[in-house]
Amino acid sequence: MMEAIRLETLTGVIDKKMNRQLKQYIDICARCAICKDACHQYVGTGDFKYLPARRAELIRQIYKKYFDGAGRFMPTLYEARDPDENLLDELYDSTYACTGCRRCMYYCPFSIDTAWILPVAKAILIAAGRGNEMLGQLADAAIFKGENAAMFEGVMLSGFEDITEEVRAITGIPEHKVHVNKEGADILYVALAGAHSIRPAAVIFEETGENWTISMFEAANYGFFYGDTEKARLITKRYIDEANRLGVKEIVVPECGHAYRVAEFFYEAWSKEPMPFKVSHILEKVDEYIKAGRITVDKGKIDGKVTYHDPCQLGRNGGKFEQPRDIVKAVTDSFVDLTPNRAEQWCCGGGGGIVAMEEFKDMRLKSGIKKVEQLRASGASVLACPCENCRLQIEELNEVHGLGLEIWQVIDLVVAAMPLPGNDAAASEDSAEA
Amino acid sequence: MYIALAVFIVGMGWRVYQWATTPKSPVRLGMFPKPATKGGRFWKMLKDTFVAPHSAKIEPKMYFFSMLFHVAALAAFVGHLRILDEYPILPDLLGEHGMDTFAAWAGSIAGTLMLVGIIFWIDRRTFGPYKNLSVPEDYLLLFLLFGVIVMGDHLRFVYGSFIHADTYQAWFQSLLAFKPAFPDKLLTGNVGWSLGTHVLFTDLFLIYFPFSKLVHAIGSLAANYVRSE
Repeated sequence: MMEAIRLETLTGVIDKKMNRQLKQYIDICARCAICKDACHQYVGTGDFKYLPARRAELIRQIYKKYFDGAGRFMPTLYEARDPDENLLDELYDSTYACTGCRRCMYYCPFSIDTAWILPVAKAILIAAGRGNEMLGQLADAAIFKGENAAMFEGVMLSGFEDITEEVRAITGIPEHKVHVNKEGADILYVALAGAHSIRPAAVIFEETGENWTISMFEAANYGFFYGDTEKARLITKRYIDEANRLGVKEIVVPECGHAYRVAEFFYEAWSKEPMPFKVSHILEKVDEYIKAGRITVDKGKIDGKVTYHDPCQLGRNGGKFEQPRDIVKAVTDSFVDLTPNRAEQWCCGGGGGIVAMEEFKDMRLKSGIKKVEQLRASGASVLACPCENCRLQIEELNEVHGLGLEIWQVIDLVVAAMPLPGNDAAASEDSAEA
Repeated sequence: MYIALAVFIVGMGWRVYQWATTPKSPVRLGMFPKPATKGGRFWKMLKDTFVAPHSAKIEPKMYFFSMLFHVAALAAFVGHLRILDEYPILPDLLGEHGMDTFAAWAGSIAGTLMLVGIIFWIDRRTFGPYKNLSVPEDYLLLFLLFGVIVMGDHLRFVYGSFIHADTYQAWFQSLLAFKPAFPDKLLTGNVGWSLGTHVLFTDLFLIYFPFSKLVHAIGSLAANYVRSE
């Protein structure tokens, strides 16, 4: 028998997290298992615990035992049970492994959002002291940075100065820079950690003459992956406060799937207050710039057949299907789509923070098999992919399966296709070497 | 039967009340593509619920048999409405005998298709590679449905040639009037036993319905609407 206090704590999580949609999902799932063929992890491993309905079933078993009259009356009928160690073991694997791609929801006849049931599972695991340590530590580090911003300022500024030099080398314009702490800027660009996420965006913003500034914080949110809403809120709040302080009109998030979804779809619900600015994805802006002629891109600078991977959080869950494609099509005549694509796109297997959890590595690579098949079938030699986690996973798949792909951020493709002195110099060097 | 109907109606009402009084998710759970207008979302909800095109794409075999079952069940339900009252137009067109012949064909087809559907589900759930997903609730529902269908088919195929809707209508009307009476035809041979078993399975099915996953009959509409929000 479980200790009463512990049991109360764990079941209390369900009570606290309960809402209409969750209740309906738990009540109506028919266990028809149509979702099995939608999940890249179940398809890639055949392991029962990765079947989406099974992941949700574990929560339903606890719910039935403690929150449902019929379940309390006839627990055997529903296999209702306590959140004991056996259940928590399976729950840990099935929950933290899930990339939250919601492909199962897309194909479910009732549109059950398994990824909306799993935050409850994560909250139970955290309450049981079994939250994923790596994700928890990364989340805490981000919160610490938010609380002690001054401590990190010197390093950040020095990094931005280095990137400024790189931007100037590419554009050839000495006035171009990475703007920092610019009050009255129109745009706050919240990048990822690393120059690769800032440099091409800075080139593009500067070339358009956009009134922008860089955030001192990164857009990645490990609190979201960890499953702690409060941590996730605090991590996001860092740049929301910054945007308020600087008085910007728009927050632009980088080539990252979950960062866009967090800012656009989750933060207002977490903070319970409306945001006074618009949220855009960097590729929405770049698409606008190209279509408005604010930047010029030339076709023919990118060699080979180019394909595009829809990150789940940006495509199916974020609605950005066409803008990235339009950008890629603007820089090449050799675009080929993956099959299936857009809302039916296979998850690459790298989302949900799974690339940061070493324990899931073998399964993660197996779960990428559908993506590998898609990429092979496309015959492309270049992949444009606007999500850091997707890129990390596909780079690994590329190596393991010898796909021979060049994997690019979309904004890198754009910068490479712009008529800029830095590009021309690089091209001259290439031809001299040849 | 009275108890079964009462439990079904109150139970379903209670389930819907529970859903309605639980606060809505603070996060928008919609996925893309989704219609921009409320009307568009409503139509998409109906399409996703009653046509389920995405499910058809990913597992055509399961989709085919599930649709077969649900459409046949709907047809069977509509056919059963004759025991409430005779249809207004069809009998005029077909004549009394023609109507009974039509009902015999329609009922036989619907009953057979339902049987095919339920056998497919039993097979899939019992021998499929993911059978571990099944819990006793699933088998109980399949058992009850199987009983309803087999005994319904028994009534249709064995006694259908000489017991027609008028007999069942007289019996059902007496139930509705709270004065149960059994026409002579229902008391001949084993007819009463067959009808009684069919009704018993149906009663048990209705009683269990609100406490089972079958609440997807209503809940799927709400969940499919959220998909487009």
